[in-house]
Amino acid sequence: MLSRGLFDKLLWLALLLLAAALVVVVVRATGSSGPSANKVLDKAMERAMTYQSRVALIRELYGPVEVLLQAGQDQSALLKLAEIEKTYPGEAHGQMLKGSIQARLGAIDEAVASYATGVKLRGDYVDKENPLSWRVEIGRIVETGLQTVSARLATNPDNRTAKATMKQLYYLQSRLAGGCE
Amino acid sequence: MNWRDQHYWLVVITGFLAGTLGVLLAVWGNPENSGICVSCFMETSAGALGLHNNERMEYLRPELLGFVLGAFVSAALLREFKSRGGSAPLARVFAGVLLIVGCAVFIGCPIKLVLRLAAGDLTVLSGLFGLVIGVGLGLRGLAHGLHLGRTRQDPSGSGWLVPGLFLLLLVFYFVRPGFLLQSPYGGAAQHAPGWVALAVGLLLGFLAQRSRFCITGGVRDSFLFGLRAPLLWGVIAFVGGALLVSLLTGRFQPGFYGQPGAHTDLLWSGLGMLLVGWISALIGGCPFRQLVKSGEGDSDAGLVVIGMLLGGGIVQSWGIAATSSGVSLAGKVAVLAGLMLVVVATLFLREDA
Repeated sequence: MLSRGLFDKLLWLALLLLAAALVVVVVRATGSSGPSANKVLDKAMERAMTYQSRVALIRELYGPVEVLLQAGQDQSALLKLAEIEKTYPGEAHGQMLKGSIQARLGAIDEAVASYATGVKLRGDYVDKENPLSWRVEIGRIVETGLQTVSARLATNPDNRTAKATMKQLYYLQSRLAGGCE
Repeated sequence: MNWRDQHYWLVVITGFLAGTLGVLLAVWGNPENSGICVSCFMETSAGALGLHNNERMEYLRPELLGFVLGAFVSAALLREFKSRGGSAPLARVFAGVLLIVGCAVFIGCPIKLVLRLAAGDLTVLSGLFGLVIGVGLGLRGLAHGLHLGRTRQDPSGSGWLVPGLFLLLLVFYFVRPGFLLQSPYGGAAQHAPGWVALAVGLLLGFLAQRSRFCITGGVRDSFLFGLRAPLLWGVIAFVGGALLVSLLTGRFQPGFYGQPGAHTDLLWSGLGMLLVGWISALIGGCPFRQLVKSGEGDSDAGLVVIGMLLGGGIVQSWGIAATSSGVSLAGKVAVLAGLMLVVVATLFLREDA
């Protein structure tokens, strides 16, 4: 039977050995380039690769739409977007492109709704430094939209469409202003 | 109010510094109006530790670590560190989760409420109303016999565990192990330089431990002692400091719409903060105060902190956290369920029951 004093001494010894083992394990793992070191890096790297492949997929998927837009064929671009939406429903980038076309065609209410839907689906579009950023375009439509839609509301306060657009504009304005989201 | 009382001035200085540094942290890189926000920091830190999967909310906030470790240093230096606990431990974990639920639906903790107000965000007024009512209801419950159980000295030393955990997290912050996540984009990607944020956290944690600074504590004491309450003056100094820096840095944009990180579901903002105020009154302090208390050896507060960290993961994973577009169904259900739990606790956890 171990006496209490001896038992405590053994515990202290065990503690020292465990601490030393911990230091050795950490130091060896930090210095090595073996499989265990790579394993802990995987999570961040996997995340970065997923994001890059998403950006690449978007560029590939919506490339034909961009070509049509550059050629000024807005209606064909909208049709192409509708076609893509059938395969990828709820994809935010399609909403952003749709909003861009609608804005160009002067359909402010629809453009604002599309932008707001896109941003709600993916906040990346309001970020300053993001490969997917549409911050400038969104800022532009918020600026003009707030003036034109509020003027419409002033003349017709019961205009439901204008009220809904105003709400979406405030949402986009809030997202552009920042905050922890 | 005794103007010659050193404690009074300590509270006022702490409040003023918390207000000014709270706004300055946003100037130095933190998200707008979120220079200091315990609930936002809990959510992003939970994300950094892999407790939720919102890729835009992952960053181990050094301010959060500083609050606990600053309080620990202060308590240790001035021999106030006492390992204690044992008062309704599991209930406190749930209280921590619910604190973050209320904050997430409002978008911010009581400190952020003041920072948003000082930046001219008028949507917080319903939250302020809810917070004050919540503290009042909590006080009423305590006056009617609600008692969570006696806190005792803890010879097992469990009060060391939360400061120890935060010290480990500080090591993680510098060593950057592979499992620690950090958002490249979004709100969590916006942050003040790490050393600055840590220094501010340590300073405020140190001062808050000395002064017992607490937003809901200030509201509570104003109910109990009126204008004589030092904590009330601390809160007033906090508002003043934040407002002053907001004005000086051109961040004061008064208005109701388009405010950063804000929504206009006023009823739910109010109910979210009602939940926060009520729980804070029952457990003896706002989320910030719980961090500070956990740093001085209070394992009851430590369990609230663990609950808050867990809550930070839950509100993001379950879609409870509100966004600028408003409060989700999950958020509304969570707040109502939280309020029901608090009502049940107030009814049945009475000493005479």
